[in-house]
Amino acid sequence: MSDQVKEKKTRTITQQRRLGLILRWILAVVLIIFSIFPVIWIISASIDPVNNLATQKLIPDNAGIQNFRELINNPIFPFFTWLWNSIKISVITTVLTLTLTTMAAFAFSRFRFKGRQELLKTILLVQSFPNLLAIVALFSISKQIGDVFAALGLNTHAGLILVYLGGAMGMNIWLMKGYMDTIPRDIDESAHVDGANDWQVFSKLILPLLRPILVVIGILSFIGTYGEFIIARTLLTKRELQTVMVGLQIYTSGQYTQNWGVFSAGALIAALPIMIIYLVLQDQIVGGLTAGAVKG
Amino acid sequence: MENKNGSIGTVAKKSISSLSSFITTFIIIAVDVLLGYITYQLASMGYIPLTVVFIIIILLISAAFLIPKLSHLRWMAVGLSAWLLFSIFPILFTIYNAFTNYGDGHLISQTQAIEQITNQTYLPETGKAYEWVAYRSNDNDYLLWVKDNEGNTFIARPVESEGDERIFDVVQGENGIGEIDDDGAPVTIEGYTRLNRILAATDQNLTKIKFGDPEKTIQVRSPSEAAELLPLYEYNPEDNTFTNQQTGKIYYDREGTWTARDGTQLIPGYNTVIGIDNFVEFATSPGLRGPLVTIVTWNFIFASMSLLLTFSLGLLISVIYGDPNFKGKKLLRSFLIIPYTIPSLITILIWRGMLNPNLGIVNRMLESVFGISPDWFNVPTLARIAILTVNTWLGYPYWMLVTSGALQSIPSDIYEAAEVDGATGFQRFWRITLPLLLVSVGPLMIASFIFNFNNFNLIYVFINGGPPIPTATTTAGYTDIIISYVYNLAFASGRGVQYGYASAISVVLFILIAAMSLIQFRFTNMWEEVGENV
Amino acid sequence: MKKRFILLAVILIASFVLGACAPEATPEPTEPPAEETEPPAEETEPPAEETEPTEEVVEPSASIRIWADEQRAPVLSELATDFLAEYGVELVVENISGIRDQFSVAAPAGEGPDIIILAHDQAAALVASGLVAPIDLGPKADEFVEEALNAFTYEGELYGMPYATENLGFFYNTDYVEEPPTTWDEVYSISEQLIADGTVQYGIVLAGTSYDAYPWMTSQGGYIFGTDENGDYDPTDVGVGSEGMIQFGEMALQWVEDGILSDNTDNTTAKSMFLNGDVAFFMNGPWELNNLREAGTPFAVAAFPDGGQPFMGVQGFMINAFSENILLAQAFLTEYVATQETMLKFYEVDPRVPAYVPALEAMDDPDLQAIAEAGANAQPMPAIPEMGKVWGDWGNALTFILNGEKTPEEAYTFAQEAIVAAISSDTTGMINLPGSWQSTVSDCEWDPACADTAMELGDDGLYYATFTIPAGDYEIKVAHDGGWDTNYGVDGVAGGDNITFTVEEEGEVQFIYDPETHLLEIIQD
Repeated sequence: MSDQVKEKKTRTITQQRRLGLILRWILAVVLIIFSIFPVIWIISASIDPVNNLATQKLIPDNAGIQNFRELINNPIFPFFTWLWNSIKISVITTVLTLTLTTMAAFAFSRFRFKGRQELLKTILLVQSFPNLLAIVALFSISKQIGDVFAALGLNTHAGLILVYLGGAMGMNIWLMKGYMDTIPRDIDESAHVDGANDWQVFSKLILPLLRPILVVIGILSFIGTYGEFIIARTLLTKRELQTVMVGLQIYTSGQYTQNWGVFSAGALIAALPIMIIYLVLQDQIVGGLTAGAVKG
Repeated sequence: MENKNGSIGTVAKKSISSLSSFITTFIIIAVDVLLGYITYQLASMGYIPLTVVFIIIILLISAAFLIPKLSHLRWMAVGLSAWLLFSIFPILFTIYNAFTNYGDGHLISQTQAIEQITNQTYLPETGKAYEWVAYRSNDNDYLLWVKDNEGNTFIARPVESEGDERIFDVVQGENGIGEIDDDGAPVTIEGYTRLNRILAATDQNLTKIKFGDPEKTIQVRSPSEAAELLPLYEYNPEDNTFTNQQTGKIYYDREGTWTARDGTQLIPGYNTVIGIDNFVEFATSPGLRGPLVTIVTWNFIFASMSLLLTFSLGLLISVIYGDPNFKGKKLLRSFLIIPYTIPSLITILIWRGMLNPNLGIVNRMLESVFGISPDWFNVPTLARIAILTVNTWLGYPYWMLVTSGALQSIPSDIYEAAEVDGATGFQRFWRITLPLLLVSVGPLMIASFIFNFNNFNLIYVFINGGPPIPTATTTAGYTDIIISYVYNLAFASGRGVQYGYASAISVVLFILIAAMSLIQFRFTNMWEEVGENV
Repeated sequence: MKKRFILLAVILIASFVLGACAPEATPEPTEPPAEETEPPAEETEPPAEETEPTEEVVEPSASIRIWADEQRAPVLSELATDFLAEYGVELVVENISGIRDQFSVAAPAGEGPDIIILAHDQAAALVASGLVAPIDLGPKADEFVEEALNAFTYEGELYGMPYATENLGFFYNTDYVEEPPTTWDEVYSISEQLIADGTVQYGIVLAGTSYDAYPWMTSQGGYIFGTDENGDYDPTDVGVGSEGMIQFGEMALQWVEDGILSDNTDNTTAKSMFLNGDVAFFMNGPWELNNLREAGTPFAVAAFPDGGQPFMGVQGFMINAFSENILLAQAFLTEYVATQETMLKFYEVDPRVPAYVPALEAMDDPDLQAIAEAGANAQPMPAIPEMGKVWGDWGNALTFILNGEKTPEEAYTFAQEAIVAAISSDTTGMINLPGSWQSTVSDCEWDPACADTAMELGDDGLYYATFTIPAGDYEIKVAHDGGWDTNYGVDGVAGGDNITFTVEEEGEVQFIYDPETHLLEIIQD
């Protein structure tokens, strides 16, 4: 390839890039509008003293922070206690979920054992069971465990976390295993030859390579746990133990008394922890690996 | 394939010294003992199904750590235990309930129902109601002073009390009676404490005690009243019937409800196994003759379109904005993740408000720009478009997250090689990125499909299945999916909430979905093989 | 390697144990935020704060738990201090959404609260399931509105203590309308004038197609369920396809065509149209009062034109049948909640018409008084399970009419058929004796779904029924499942000839049916 041709090629590539960039930005603007437009309405509802979703204006008359004040000051609704409970439960659940799924996925990805495929498929299939009675069952399991061991029973955070862990083996394992499958087997085999055992392969070699997917599953698990309210509201009835989603849901459940403004205000504050976590971790998702690192 | 990796056995053997295996055994035994204790307690409380699950968990954990052949289970023993307990057990519970009459009217156990019916009392025609004051001794013996509406007073002992006469008059100085108050009730009785209103109310035994003569017992039934109540029904455990003591009518047990020959029923009933009645009911219900074809078709369209739209949009974003050279991508992604951070409970409702045909901002804008005002709630096709739009909005950030994670697993040297080969960006994406990506996210797509297939919340909260189908013989709407439709059938049933019936529907649905998924597995089995050792 | 696993297992177990301890530890981390909220909340904070010091002085001897919604919970919480001081009993108020469903799960497991708050039509199923205990209000019973008590009375027993009633009222914009119309004709002419003047877009808007339009339907003679001689709803008499209903449908359609009635029936839209002054009239309930006042729309409430009757719902307290503190719960309700002060507080936080007479008399809200008057002739919301099958089809009918997909007659007749079919599908397993003789013992004749003449299964597998029938010649057949699809006549022939029998002298006639041979035996004394 002559230098001239190379130069020409580079130039067209630059031009192409520039055009691509412009197109990308146009698309980006459209996407941003699509994604945040409803959110602007939530913000608007949160500063609107009148409770009506349909007549809302973008900038409401008499806009103010009454809704936020009501949210924070109401002694019956300890909003920040709930927020803290949610964060605590979600963080613990996420950490444990990651531990359990990563280990299990390692076994599914690296070992060949009888029933492996079947077990994987079962895990996926079980996810699809439209289990409308799950709540009733989970309630009675929690109650019965609690009768024996109160610290894991109803109205305990530990009990709720335990229930959430029952779902840890679901989709996450497939996601994690899928990722692990793309990490070449030669790495562990050469390590095994060097005398490393499975645990060393897992913890020293594989685990560091999993960072992006760990972050993704971590975020998914955190958001999933954080937003869950159906199980939480059944297992936790004590006000000071409830989670923020259960609390928020109360605002929409009154038969005719939906309190949109306060609900929107709460939803915005409740979205903050997720936003923050995402902002902190997003570099880890994309900025992660190169093939070189994998090949090691 | 199965023999490919023999390392686990050999390595494990190498690393086990006799000492550590001793420690392992010891700790496993300790864990087993702890779990065994819990299991024993559960069994002694009569929680048999849960006991069985715990025994399985103990076996699983012990086997994983003690049998070398099953050592791979160590990696997942804890996770599997939680999964068994909180995912599998509830499903078995639902399957069991599909064969019961569990639901309104049959929520409690037979023992509970018998107790409740036995506790029902009636005031015989000759019976009297009284004002009352209770007295309690230190060893929890009770006396009840009563006064009828004619002003007659006396004191009664519990029916079970032995020896002394069960009823005696209020005479100061007799039977340890001290001073008498204005009402005629003793202020003190020797050996007893007079219970004031508060103490009486907090005494949990009081309402259960029968006072006076066995034929004419007096029971406290409210803070203000005690009465000569008689048990209304007598239970005959031999043939499991109740006899009404007033009328002599006999109530026979009919699938969890005691029913008399004339059709009158006792409440409450209890939950019990009724065989395949629920399935038969579903198979013969008018619901099945209803607009099932419309609903099933739409259900598949909804689930696949939701998957397609959310996946494509999410992937598009992570591909074109995953480029490290693209400035501002961080900010952009932060904006684009927002729909995922706000509880969908509120965003669905916000969308509903925005799409309101008369007042919503979307229509106001469409009206001013294009002069059109589509009726998103009443025109079937528009309603379906609206619901897919909302679902795309709700779901694309998930795929954005997942695919941008999964894309990292595709080694960049493959791209470099492709670039050298002269592949265009599009070709690269189509030939390399997508197939590789499908390896890791394929199963998630199945899961996402299944999730949307059963996405009850969105359909219900956004539009409640509407607009209604005019020709349907059962209540159904154009956006109803199978699950929302059958839930309407089960929960808006003429007998209140029927959990047993709904469970039966769940089981049938699951068999349907499982069959579909298995077929999908068959076609997609290649994924895993491709995925190995890239 | 094994050690690592064990280490992990230990860590996992330890983290559970730690997590398990966490609830006890929560007060520590949770308190700071609670304190942060204190300064701005000078007036609202005390109740919660006060309970703590007293708790240390009075050792609670017991506790009662109440499940309440977000409006009632704060009021009940305020009673906790006094209750603790007087009874030494701790009052735990828990804020629960979806009380009915949660209670059905928790109560049978022995984990339910002692007291719950519910609407009377939701409570019926709990009564049928044996989850709530009868309440004896004692002398206090006289202090409650009679209709409200009746709503909570099932099979002659009182199961709830009502606190509020709610029904729709006829709202009108006082800027446009000075005197509320008393007939629909007046509504029409006022609307016509206002529209002609350009004051409003439409005269009236409906906030829904079923409950929210019911007063208009009843004014034309429409109904949902007829009543039997005791005044109870009769599920076999469905009135969705009644003439009055169709008449309403025609009227509504006409009004939409004339531009008087908006074709929109979306609740939110309707509310905002009235709120913005786009319509002069609409029908809504007390729950909308606060919103309307906040929005500043000038409005007043009147009774419905032409004597339309709204449905009435009753809210009340119920006691868990599995509670260990039934007596205490009753004492709490009758002594603490059934007071003018508490009942007025409920009314202040959320305007509903009190069901407690002293509070009702003290009610000074003119709009609420007007709503109460609009509900003077209200029909109680049917608390029978069959109502569950009515809502969907009943409501859809009006949608079809307004969309032009069906004529009013088609729409309501169709809905009627669907509802009757849905209700009678509950007759699966029913063995009935349709015939001419039915009219002598019931309102039915040749009706295979007639509840009054259904047979009962005996222990021997045969079906029995006994009736007193006057002298005469009769015809009869045996029908299965409440319909004619499976029926048997002479000699047990499927679809066979009618069986005839003669009663010489009025007396008891016993019918015995053998489901194996399909033979019907008729025995007369």
